[in-house]
Amino acid sequence: MQFSLILGTIFFSLALADQQTLVLVDNLNIRETHSLFFKSLQDRGYTLTFKLADDANLVLAKYGEYLYKNLIIFAPSVLEFGGQVDTEAITKFIDDGGNLLMAGNAAAGDVYREIASECGFEMDEESAAVIDHFNYDASDDGEHTRIVVSPTNLIKAPTIVGDKNRLPLLFEGTGLILDKDNSLVMPILTADSTAYSYNPKSQVKEYPHAVGRKTVLIAALQARNNARIVFSGSLYFFSDEAFSSSIAKVHGDQVRSEVSGNKALALHLSEWAFGERGRLRVRSVHHHKQGEKESSNTYTITDTVVYRIEIEELKQGLWQPFEANDVQLEFVRIDPFVRTTLMKKPNGVYEAVFKVPDVWGVYQFKVDYDRVGYTRLYHSTQVSVRPLQHTQYERFIPSAYPYYVSAFSMMIGVFLFSFVFLYYKEDSPKTKSE
Amino acid sequence: MPSTSIARPENGQNKGLFNNTAGLSTLITVTVLSLAWLAGFASRLFAVIRFESIIHEFDPWFNYRSTAYMVQHGFYNFLNWFDERAWYPLGRIVGGTVYPGLMITSGTIHWILHTLNIPIHIRDICVFLAPVFSGLTAIATYLLTSELWSRGAGLFAACFIAIVPGYSSRSVAGSYDNEGIAIFALQFTYYLWLKSVKSGSIFWSICTALSYFYMVSAWGGYVFIINLIPLHVFVLLVMGRFSQRLFVSYSVFYIVGLLMSMQIPFVGFQPIRTSEHMAASGVFALLMAIGVLKYLHSLNPKGQWKQLLILGGMVAAAAVFMVVVLLTYMGVIAPWSGRFYSLWDTAYAKIHIPIIASVSEHQPTTWSSFFFDLHVLVCTFPVGLWYCIKNVNDERVFVALYALSAVYFAGVMVRLMLTLTPVVCVLAGIAFSILLDLVLREDDLPMPPVDNDESKNLYDKAGKLKKRTHEPAQPLDSGLGMNVRSGTMIAFMILLMLFSVHCTWATSNAYSSPSIVLASYGNDGSRKILDDFREAYGWLSQNTAEDARIMSWWDYGYQIAGMGNRTTLVDNNTWNNSHIALVGKAMASNESAAYDIMTMLDVDYVLVIFGGAIGYSGDDINKFIWMVRIAEGEHPKDIHEADYFTERGEYRVDSEASKTMLNCLMYKLSYYRYDSGGSPPGYDRTRGALPGNRGFKLTYLEEAYTTEHWLVRIYRVKKPDEFNRPRLSLAKRTVPTSNTLSKKTSKRRKGLLKNRPTIVKGKKVGRLE
Repeated sequence: MQFSLILGTIFFSLALADQQTLVLVDNLNIRETHSLFFKSLQDRGYTLTFKLADDANLVLAKYGEYLYKNLIIFAPSVLEFGGQVDTEAITKFIDDGGNLLMAGNAAAGDVYREIASECGFEMDEESAAVIDHFNYDASDDGEHTRIVVSPTNLIKAPTIVGDKNRLPLLFEGTGLILDKDNSLVMPILTADSTAYSYNPKSQVKEYPHAVGRKTVLIAALQARNNARIVFSGSLYFFSDEAFSSSIAKVHGDQVRSEVSGNKALALHLSEWAFGERGRLRVRSVHHHKQGEKESSNTYTITDTVVYRIEIEELKQGLWQPFEANDVQLEFVRIDPFVRTTLMKKPNGVYEAVFKVPDVWGVYQFKVDYDRVGYTRLYHSTQVSVRPLQHTQYERFIPSAYPYYVSAFSMMIGVFLFSFVFLYYKEDSPKTKSE
Repeated sequence: MPSTSIARPENGQNKGLFNNTAGLSTLITVTVLSLAWLAGFASRLFAVIRFESIIHEFDPWFNYRSTAYMVQHGFYNFLNWFDERAWYPLGRIVGGTVYPGLMITSGTIHWILHTLNIPIHIRDICVFLAPVFSGLTAIATYLLTSELWSRGAGLFAACFIAIVPGYSSRSVAGSYDNEGIAIFALQFTYYLWLKSVKSGSIFWSICTALSYFYMVSAWGGYVFIINLIPLHVFVLLVMGRFSQRLFVSYSVFYIVGLLMSMQIPFVGFQPIRTSEHMAASGVFALLMAIGVLKYLHSLNPKGQWKQLLILGGMVAAAAVFMVVVLLTYMGVIAPWSGRFYSLWDTAYAKIHIPIIASVSEHQPTTWSSFFFDLHVLVCTFPVGLWYCIKNVNDERVFVALYALSAVYFAGVMVRLMLTLTPVVCVLAGIAFSILLDLVLREDDLPMPPVDNDESKNLYDKAGKLKKRTHEPAQPLDSGLGMNVRSGTMIAFMILLMLFSVHCTWATSNAYSSPSIVLASYGNDGSRKILDDFREAYGWLSQNTAEDARIMSWWDYGYQIAGMGNRTTLVDNNTWNNSHIALVGKAMASNESAAYDIMTMLDVDYVLVIFGGAIGYSGDDINKFIWMVRIAEGEHPKDIHEADYFTERGEYRVDSEASKTMLNCLMYKLSYYRYDSGGSPPGYDRTRGALPGNRGFKLTYLEEAYTTEHWLVRIYRVKKPDEFNRPRLSLAKRTVPTSNTLSKKTSKRRKGLLKNRPTIVKGKKVGRLE
């Protein structure tokens, strides 16, 4: 009981450090218009610091230490951040492990585009908005930019978006384009095939940058250092208005709903973005020869090795055993020589028992668990696999027996011969001389 | 004939009158040999005096490292040593891939000295081992030569081998390599072999086999012995000089030597499975067949048996040859290895095995290097050879074969000059001894017959006749020849003096550089030490992770392991060509392709040698074309040698160099940020050119360390997770962004908002959007 209490306090204090959040807005009104979203964050324990985006005293880090773990930018009209914050500072913040939630709208300036590009996706041109003439909401003002998006367009990743998204979503804002070569970015929410992204006030003269399902509404990136970025083309998406308004689609299947699914999704996204979900860690790794207890850095070829890894997942602020059945282990020397699925044991322990290949060299045990929505779990341990020692070879192999026999018979023969040679008295020479 | 086996006591049994002389000659012998030892030892110390007591060059570093390992962990652990620091990630079984003789020798010396409570560091033993062994080589050469000709010739030969540059090149202090002890083993084995052929005693044969075993444990050049001795036996058989002595000595030597050589793990079953060793077993079989035929002949020694003997011998030889060929075809016997092919066809390695051709030691020898390494001996040794052939006997056949084969091999490979040097010393010693005999005979006219008796009457028939013919001629010359004699004497003394001066000069100037410490001389003669190599390896050992993996060209593998104590990918034990080719490919590819290879091999650091700033010509850019060739051999699709030359086929680094050359990893790592080297800044003094690609940036690597004179450059390979966010480069963006300049100043740090709401007192705050 006491133990869990201590654990709890430790996690709580850890969580506190994780929950310093800076919210940059271009207008303090946003605090009111998006109060539901901010409230839910505060309820979950985040300390929100609201600052105007052009505040002359903006700082992210002091004396090399970051003041915030998370950054929310709800300031579409910013042209240049104040203080020491600029695109470079924000990317450095990400590279140092900070999380970023960013939402813009059709009016967003080039700073938004710069930051988006730094993360591997692009935001459409200024004043371009996602237009869908078939899926707009009744409350739309005629430009068909307040669109209704079906939850089936969400990425199939329950850790990011949750698994209970059945309500349609309201979206109003600009579209995003993903870099195809970039394997780290994820389209969280895409538009329907009838949508496109263009300036609603002007005639379509050139081919839009984003068309149909390629128009991404909300994109996310989990960087290689597990920093998370959620980038929404719509600030409206997070607003109280969108959270609570009812939905009535004008065309098509005319979906109606009392309330939009925005709130649930926004909360899930923020939980994921700020690292409340989908975080894995290796608690311990142990490997040893079967039948022994001690861990060793050296194995001999064809040894049977037991490899054990304990994986934990962060759930409700506590590290708990991770449950999965697709964790794999590789035994690699340039190429994997052994690749096997780890057997699930109780308490988040995964185990593999396998035979070391009959090839010596320097190997690595590699567990590389990379699943959408989870942090990358990578662990490698280097061991050397050595050939047999001179005492470990088989001593008396059957095919050698003829040689043993011949050697020993030879030795006996020589012994007998020398005995005879030394002690046999020859009579015949005497007879000869005689 | 056991009485011949103890030749030395006979000297003591001289007639009473010469008792003193015998004592005197022993005293002279001992004095000369110890002086030879001392001179040989002293002339090899230039490196220690000029620089310090360190291990030289490349291979010695591995030998030193494994010796230190053996001393620390014991012999059996050394035998089973799996070195995970070398050839990452393949590793190397050191015990099974090394000739342990050198390590065992110095380990034994270390053990003995420590048992006697003389605390000496193993490094000092390693540094001084080769000079000490040069004295033993001198003694072995003395024994060999006196077995062949006379003790006087032996003393000459001993003095020659002690200081001749051809041998001291491989045995200066610090040059801790197999050759240092192997030449002693070689000479001693040959001496014992001659002894056993002469005596036909099993004792000497066993001694030969033991000495051969030591040679096998010390150096791969033992193959020379195991081919030369059978060749000797074969030639003797052809010459009709078969004898029971030969039969006994060879059969005992072969069987015992074979069994013992197979005890060395690195040699293993090679003596019965490879073509290089087949001559020995073939000659053994032939000798047995001829022995049987001889025996049959002795049962019924009549005329017609003679033909049978010859015919039978030839049939036996043909049968043995056919069996060997057949076994080779069936795959029981491995065919000749590439290194041996390159001995017969000098162009073979260049076409098929670039890794062998790339080693400078494996190039054909130039004429000048014969003279440089042997000086006057190269001119006089044919004289000795001629006398040996003229006064031929069983042993002299051997030395003639030795000389001829060694001359051939030395002509093929610079490195094999080392095997030529001892026989040249022996024969030149004989030549000088004959000359002195001729010139000095007049002074002690009654003496020479005694000497002749002493050294030759037991087995030398032709020689004796020869001397007789000389003797009557001498009195005729004596009146007139006085001036001629003294003139010849003076000329030869001057020659010998010049020889010793040359030897000392060559050893001191050409062969005493440790090559890990460089020295340069200023205009005023002041010496400047360039210690960049150790600076870099020291940096590695202090500043990198314990298990950091360093990629470099294989030349520096042993040094990185020995001095830096870090994991290397390839090293001077060039056993795996494809792994080396992979490193060569990484060096020859552009940065991103190289990065793929480097991540695959888990490389943490890359080390390149760049001599452009100080004009050091042995740097990586000059070796680079070999990396390309070796890489092309394994990856012909990705690397093409022609891409690295200009259109006119020149190898250049300046602005006219090919694009591939200017963008390959090796080029970039060498010239990255390079701005030294005199005027204009960035001038490459080795190639005498201004690099063609300058001011570039590196994406996947970052400079970690560069030594004082830019000689060694170390780069850190960035890990994949350092490329945290794959950003979209400006060129790839579809939506154009305007690059607005920041309006912030150091004083005004306020940002900019579009339609910033203005606060008007007394009114509501206006809302944007």
